[in-house]
Amino acid sequence: MANHKVGISRRDFLYKSSAFAVAAAAWPGLLRNAHGASRERVTIFHSSVADSVHPYNHSSSPIYGQWQHVIEPLIEYDFKRKDYVGVLAESWQFQGNKWVFKLRKGIKFHDGTPFTSRDVPFSVERMRDEKGGSLQAPNFKDVVEIQTPDDQTVIFVTKQPNAVFLDRLDNRLIVSKAAGDKYGDKIYENLVGTGPYKFVSYQRGGHLVFTRNDDYWGAKAAIKEVVYKKVTEDAARLAALESGQADFINNVPDHEVPRLRKHPRIRIDQLEGTRMFFLAINFAFKPWDNRLVRQAANYSVDAPAIVRNIFDGIGYPCNGPVGANVLGADPKLKRYPYDPQKAKQLLAQAGYPNGCDIQLYYSAGRYPKDREVCQVVAAQMVKGGFRVELISQEWALFWDKQGVNGGKLPFYYIGRGGLTDADTLYDQYFRTGTTKRTNYSNPELDKLVEEQQKTPDSKKRIAILQQAGKYIMDEALFIPLYNLADIYGAAKNLEWKTRPDERVMARDMSIK
Amino acid sequence: MFSLRFLKIWVGGAILSLLVVCGVAAPLLAPRDPQAQTLEDRLRPPRWLENGSPAYSLGTDNLGRDMLSRIIYGSRISLMVGVATVLFAGLVGCTLGAVAGYFGSTADEIVSKISEIFLAFPFLLIAIAIMAFLGQGVGNLIMALMLSRWVQYCRVVRGEVLSLKERDFVSAAKALGGRDFYVLYRHVVPNTFASVTVIATFGMAIVIITEASLSFLGLGVPAHIPTWGSMLSEGRSYINRAPWLTIFPGLAIFITVFGINLLGDGLRDIFDPKLRRQR
Repeated sequence: MANHKVGISRRDFLYKSSAFAVAAAAWPGLLRNAHGASRERVTIFHSSVADSVHPYNHSSSPIYGQWQHVIEPLIEYDFKRKDYVGVLAESWQFQGNKWVFKLRKGIKFHDGTPFTSRDVPFSVERMRDEKGGSLQAPNFKDVVEIQTPDDQTVIFVTKQPNAVFLDRLDNRLIVSKAAGDKYGDKIYENLVGTGPYKFVSYQRGGHLVFTRNDDYWGAKAAIKEVVYKKVTEDAARLAALESGQADFINNVPDHEVPRLRKHPRIRIDQLEGTRMFFLAINFAFKPWDNRLVRQAANYSVDAPAIVRNIFDGIGYPCNGPVGANVLGADPKLKRYPYDPQKAKQLLAQAGYPNGCDIQLYYSAGRYPKDREVCQVVAAQMVKGGFRVELISQEWALFWDKQGVNGGKLPFYYIGRGGLTDADTLYDQYFRTGTTKRTNYSNPELDKLVEEQQKTPDSKKRIAILQQAGKYIMDEALFIPLYNLADIYGAAKNLEWKTRPDERVMARDMSIK
Repeated sequence: MFSLRFLKIWVGGAILSLLVVCGVAAPLLAPRDPQAQTLEDRLRPPRWLENGSPAYSLGTDNLGRDMLSRIIYGSRISLMVGVATVLFAGLVGCTLGAVAGYFGSTADEIVSKISEIFLAFPFLLIAIAIMAFLGQGVGNLIMALMLSRWVQYCRVVRGEVLSLKERDFVSAAKALGGRDFYVLYRHVVPNTFASVTVIATFGMAIVIITEASLSFLGLGVPAHIPTWGSMLSEGRSYINRAPWLTIFPGLAIFITVFGINLLGDGLRDIFDPKLRRQR
């Protein structure tokens, strides 16, 4: 034992150093292969993936984006141009009770059959088939008839002029009638469309595979195969992205963003989402019928502070009744500034010199950090002279006939998704009779909402929407809060044209 | 009296007394209003860590509220829920159990079937179902916990009474002309107290954990009332960035339950006749 060698033998040294040299030489290559997206296939881990092979059995923005790989709409909304652009339709005209669409020529379905006007009414019938599982029927509730005078023309006849019909037609994807005749009930299992990708397979639990359509009528997609996988746990999606298992994920938690921005292989895309959050007021309840109380509430809620502190500044407080990117937003409008003293004064004027009791309802866990948000709102409103009782309800109870949609909640925290046109919000929440969510009824505002829906000229329509927006702010019909950020994580070499409507489509992606 | 034999009782009792003092004197002990938010000071670490502030001994939570004050106030809910549930559940369970065991026949059939129905479901599941039905609130929480806890007392007392009523002293009491309720009240029920005390202490620990679990699931008391369970639940998403949000309420639950279990264990040592004979 005395003669025991210290250190490393020559043979050992050679083995180890050569192994090290090989590893060092291969390292950059390994790194690139392990953690970069490739042109062959992109893997997307998403919190929301189609729950069945039925492409109309949902009404959810991310899932529209998934099916749009295969089947396409007549038109879609272009967020850069802030207007609708044609996809399968080339041009369209609004003629009183009619919407006339001219379809693009020379488009072929994946099975080689030509796309014609007859595919449109066939698809609409499928979307209207609520018994067959469609959840998209209400979009066509005022369509009386669909005419197809020739192969390239489709005419939608509505009960009365409808200027917002394009909004209802956005996301309505067209399937092939020939395939429908051929496959019958099995049409969705053998989905045939005109899109940049072909349907390959769907597995229960949300595993969706598409492959590129090399005969696509438009610009060919850069990536050959797309795999969608449903992963609802935030941490699991993030771990998959960091390990290179996924090339793209949605909903990166905001407090992980600073760390990931320094990550060598990951890019974070952060943009203003189209889901708008607000506190809705129900006019059937006291004291909310009093304008001064509503204004006091507006003065006492500090949305910028909530975004700054709860969401680490990653969010966009609304200046006015809708976010800045929404059609009909008015840059001249300002939100009520945070001023608890003013709120107290207004409450005293309204007849509540000693403060006023209110209840704030929410459904914990539905939206990001909703529990924290509502606690901060309550604390802010207490400073403004309100006494707030916080009540959290389970979502079904909160949302159904006993809650929001039955007009049973006096004051609640809610988010409206996919809000690109102010009409959607105004019609749904403030027009007499559309829903019971606020029980608000005012002929003056009804007239404005109705008028803009009948106005084909977009500029004139925006002007009327802005007028309605000003009215809503003056009357303090609700408390607009903010839009949050949609935060996506991607492999650094994956280029993606971001879009704010929660849709992730491989046609918008390329590899650097 | 202060021998090692009673060590468990002394330690457990001391922890429980500390909890009682915290709960009762919370407004005096807590340095701040547990609900006061200072958003600018959110997620401050405890004072001994870098960036910590002497103003917040145990740091602040995600809304800038003082952790120490919230933990002190949180003991109120744990204590109130624990004691109230044990008392009510004990009262209901013991009464039904004694009646069922002593009178047998139809009374026993009814009580046993009902308690079997309750026993068929996991205890937490019943509590969740009842809370979902009743809605949030301290009263509702106690009600839900009581409804899911009374069965334990009922079963134990019924079993004890079944064996006690065959004993000679009961026959003697009856022979002397004692009416049923008198015999039950004076001679049978007092003899079940030892076992009831033991399950009551263990039960209290279980109830405190269940309250924390329900609050963690968002089914406990309203959001603005600080409880250890809801503090854990809210702090969970910040576990990487601000671990003190979960460590301190977790510790509070652990120490409390540990103390109560020690006490229960000590009491069992004293009451259990088999263990008593060994000494």
